[in-house]
Amino acid sequence: MILGRMVGTVWATRKNPRLGNLKLALVRPYFWYDPSHDVDHLVAVDQVGAEVGQDVIVCLGQPGRWAAGDFRCPIEASVAAIVDETRIARKSLSDAQARFALRQAFLPASLQWTEGDTMAEDRSR
Amino acid sequence: MMLARVIGEVWATRKSPRMEGRKLLLVAALRKGQDAAMEPTGQVVVAIDTIGARIGHTVAVAWGSGARAVLAPPDNRSVLADAAVARIVDAVTLGNDDQPEYLE
Repeated sequence: MILGRMVGTVWATRKNPRLGNLKLALVRPYFWYDPSHDVDHLVAVDQVGAEVGQDVIVCLGQPGRWAAGDFRCPIEASVAAIVDETRIARKSLSDAQARFALRQAFLPASLQWTEGDTMAEDRSR
Repeated sequence: MMLARVIGEVWATRKSPRMEGRKLLLVAALRKGQDAAMEPTGQVVVAIDTIGARIGHTVAVAWGSGARAVLAPPDNRSVLADAAVARIVDAVTLGNDDQPEYLE
């Protein structure tokens, strides 16, 4: 999955019938899998109800296609969750380049830096 | 699969029902650094965790449809995840058995 910020909504009147009434969110990813995918936006199906400005997790590829319950849907990305909080441990980024990439990057609104290596175990919600 | 280091965690309350109850980790892909160690790069991905990986662990991450195979059937069919922590890595070596190069 990819972490990104929802920056807008895409409206379309003429579309593939399998897309039905699915809402399309315009997401700007904070990080990509690979630099070759380096465009700064992504259109994702939103069934969670994200709003502009929220951080979202986007699921790509075949698993994302199942979001609509139909594998024939022309979908490649779907919003899987709305993020409350992102924590990155400063210590875990030993490489200067990774630190630099994160400093230069468009950073999550929900980001909090932590110092520790481990986290409280039972915070899963 | 790809080697990655766990660098953080993501908390989400509102999520798709197909992702309910999954712990989410931020993992950064690794590449070989200059001093015989694997270094995290700026390629950061959100992966689900089923085996209790913690921040600082080196992990192997399964991608795409393969991520669902990390979960036990039958509930893995509909899971909404394209990256999952498949194992926690103890050691990595490069090269042949005669002259292995140990990476951290």
